[in-house]
Amino acid sequence: MKRRVVISAGGAVSAIGIGLEQFWRNCLEGACAVAAVPDAWARYAELHSRLWSPLPELDFEALGIARAERLQLDPFAMLALVAAREALLNAGFSLVPAQRTRAFTIAGEDAARIGVFLGTGIGGACTFLHNHSVHLSRGPRYNPFVVSMLMPNAASAVIANKFSLHGPNATYCIACASGTVSVGNAYRAVRDGQVELALTGGSEFLHDEHGHIFRGFDVAGTLVRDCADAQTANRPFDERRSGFLFSQGGSAVLVLEELGHALRRGAAIIAELVGFAETFDAYSMMSLAPDGAQIERALRASLADAGLPAGAVDYVNAHGTGTVNNDGIESAIIERVFGRSVPVNSTKSLLGHTIGASGAFEALVTALTLRDGKTHINRNLETPCSGLNYVRSATVFNPQVGLSQSFAFGGHNAALLLRRYNG
Amino acid sequence: MSAEVEQRVIKVVAEVTDLKEEDIKPTASLADDLKMDSLQRMTLYVALEDEFQNYSMPPEAVANLATVQDIVGFIDKQLAQSPPA
Repeated sequence: MKRRVVISAGGAVSAIGIGLEQFWRNCLEGACAVAAVPDAWARYAELHSRLWSPLPELDFEALGIARAERLQLDPFAMLALVAAREALLNAGFSLVPAQRTRAFTIAGEDAARIGVFLGTGIGGACTFLHNHSVHLSRGPRYNPFVVSMLMPNAASAVIANKFSLHGPNATYCIACASGTVSVGNAYRAVRDGQVELALTGGSEFLHDEHGHIFRGFDVAGTLVRDCADAQTANRPFDERRSGFLFSQGGSAVLVLEELGHALRRGAAIIAELVGFAETFDAYSMMSLAPDGAQIERALRASLADAGLPAGAVDYVNAHGTGTVNNDGIESAIIERVFGRSVPVNSTKSLLGHTIGASGAFEALVTALTLRDGKTHINRNLETPCSGLNYVRSATVFNPQVGLSQSFAFGGHNAALLLRRYNG
Repeated sequence: MSAEVEQRVIKVVAEVTDLKEEDIKPTASLADDLKMDSLQRMTLYVALEDEFQNYSMPPEAVANLATVQDIVGFIDKQLAQSPPA
């Protein structure tokens, strides 16, 4: 019999809230955080997009990361560490100080049966760019930890080092689908008995002092162009959408457990993970295949994995970037597979695009939507780009099965299916 | 030797080693008394650069610093040569 996999907790560090429940409350209020990009960036390039979604000021010392650690970690790894610690504490685990400095063990758990599966789009690019500037200027402070800071596996590794976890430890670098693919592979590892428990999600930090990373997306024409009104510029699925809102980053981490394991320790289950699939377009490095055939195949494969018909899905958390290309193609696919009546929203309408963390945030939102029976609005939707049932108000609608999907530069498609946990 | 610099160096050594400040003597050897391996020493020098913002501690310059007071002396010397603006 297939082992059942549940989400028993989460942690979140985002532009609209630090801490899972604050993040979720702000989602339900349709909150966003949008500001002008740092003035300094204008010194280096004529930018077309002028807005981003900045993180709040983060005091990593207060969030449990000491200076000796901070100096050896890129912010993307620190964000993941903060979200992972919160997820473990929210799950009800006791963290016991270990012999190693500033490390912990999880009381009563077999560390060999706990894995970490984490996604990131660009890992420690911020550290790389900073030290590149130091290198070019022959500055004296070239960080000797630069390699272990910039490597994309730094976040999953530091989580396992901090909490003394000896199970499989994997990093998924799949651009905007990194978080979704990570959660999907963690789900498979728990379902197939490779581990009892998994920490999974995604983390991203996209702020470098000269605006290099922003410029890369900007010059590719992917970022929001119509910046006249900061509050309404980011408008996924609207006729007037003009690109995605660049996010400074964030991290979302979920605790996945085998159902029996969660029940034995009295965990408060958020939702159940029941299906996962991924496909690849083999069409373009930067653009979705217009026919959406491989995305549709991923959706149908995730349904087959869950043993559910398309008609069972009554909530879709869309990729919903706000680019003309994505939202048009995605809407057509959703209509083709699920019909017009299924409620659809884009969490990126609140957060902007957190790239490698986005799928993890969206899996979390899907789980919380199923737990609470309500979801957040698709913000700034005035004239929908299609006849889908986009969410306009955060009213109770008690969905039973939710889909979260992500598509990524390169051509990756991934879909997660979650079910309300009814015992 | 500056008492203020010494106190700040000991604070940073304590942060890196997780020892109590009162257990770190100025004469303590980094390797023998504090049991700091090369990675911990690298961490220490990066943390000292963070503590003393205007100064750098490149690996080749600090390779021969064996004790806490050697580090204090090194920083004192840098301070004397180029006091912060």
